Amino acid sequence: MPRVTFHRDGQAYLGEVADNTNLVVRAGVKQFPFPHLRYGCGMGKCGKCACRVLKGAELLSEPNWKEKKRLGPGLDEGYRLICQLWINHDVELEQDRIPSEPPSPAVA
Amino acid sequence: MPELMSHVEFRTALENAIKGKSANKAPFSIAWASGKLSRAHLGKWAENHYHYVGPFADYLAYIYARMPAQYVEAKDFLLANMYEEEIGGDRHTDLLIRFAEACGTTRARVIDPDNMTATTRGLQSWCYSVAMREDPIVAVAALVVGLESQVPSIYRKQTPTLREKYKFSDQEVEFFDLHIVSDEIHGERGYQIVLEHANTVELQQRCLKICEIGAQMRLSYTTALYWDYVANDIPISEIENVEPKVQHAERQLLQA
Repeated sequence: MPRVTFHRDGQAYLGEVADNTNLVVRAGVKQFPFPHLRYGCGMGKCGKCACRVLKGAELLSEPNWKEKKRLGPGLDEGYRLICQLWINHDVELEQDRIPSEPPSPAVA
Repeated sequence: MPELMSHVEFRTALENAIKGKSANKAPFSIAWASGKLSRAHLGKWAENHYHYVGPFADYLAYIYARMPAQYVEAKDFLLANMYEEEIGGDRHTDLLIRFAEACGTTRARVIDPDNMTATTRGLQSWCYSVAMREDPIVAVAALVVGLESQVPSIYRKQTPTLREKYKFSDQEVEFFDLHIVSDEIHGERGYQIVLEHANTVELQQRCLKICEIGAQMRLSYTTALYWDYVANDIPISEIENVEPKVQHAERQLLQA
């Protein structure tokens, strides 16, 4: 079972989850990482669930179009939208206290 | 005489009741899964589906109003579910309309109630009726556990089919994508509410029965879509011919 280490506000929280787990779904049904993981729409739009992946990023699926649109350059800094990820391996995540703003739209 | 079931037994019984006996045989679902439908057929599906899922927050609002005040968590869940359907991100029906437009129909046609079949109208009416008249816990069993909780596994299968066989873009099928997360939360919390509050033999049996009825209503709705929109283009013999080639699970998951 994948082990998840979740950092927030200077605290680390550890938990094991089943294969192919979405952590926003878990938090939504009040299981680890509830109540620590902040999330919003669950559809890759609001960005509230964004976390920086400290370990295990290479084993995650490629960012999808919603993550590219919402995170923009944040992807290069290691951020991912947790609502868009299904966890199958150990991973270590850190969530900022304040969610990042979406990137400005490109000027035509 | 039935006895009071434990949470584990009751959950298994609910899951079995939801599956229904023949819901995986609907010809529309088989044609969808095998890639035989045209975009026009899928557009007709969207024009009907809108009237089934579009009022979902309305259904929940009726249940919310009648849910006993002491069931605070259940009430909060219903309120959050309504919010997420409508204004938590993109309005879910707007995403359905985006898919419909990619199929070649229009927003005006989708929202026009004259464009749904009588059977779709029946399904919508049943949802309203359950929300307004049933015990609120039984209504949660019907609409959240029986119908909404099925959506993630259905759409998880449907989305790759729409991309790979029907060649829709990621943006065009976002309606199907988003339900994989939000409805998984809603369905599971619906289960939690029903397991906790259906605490008599009578309530448990009513929940099971209404989930069976929900499966029948879903099957009728999907079957009517084939006969009303597809049968003239794809004869039933062709569907029956392809039917064994479509995976059982895939057919089952295309029902909602």
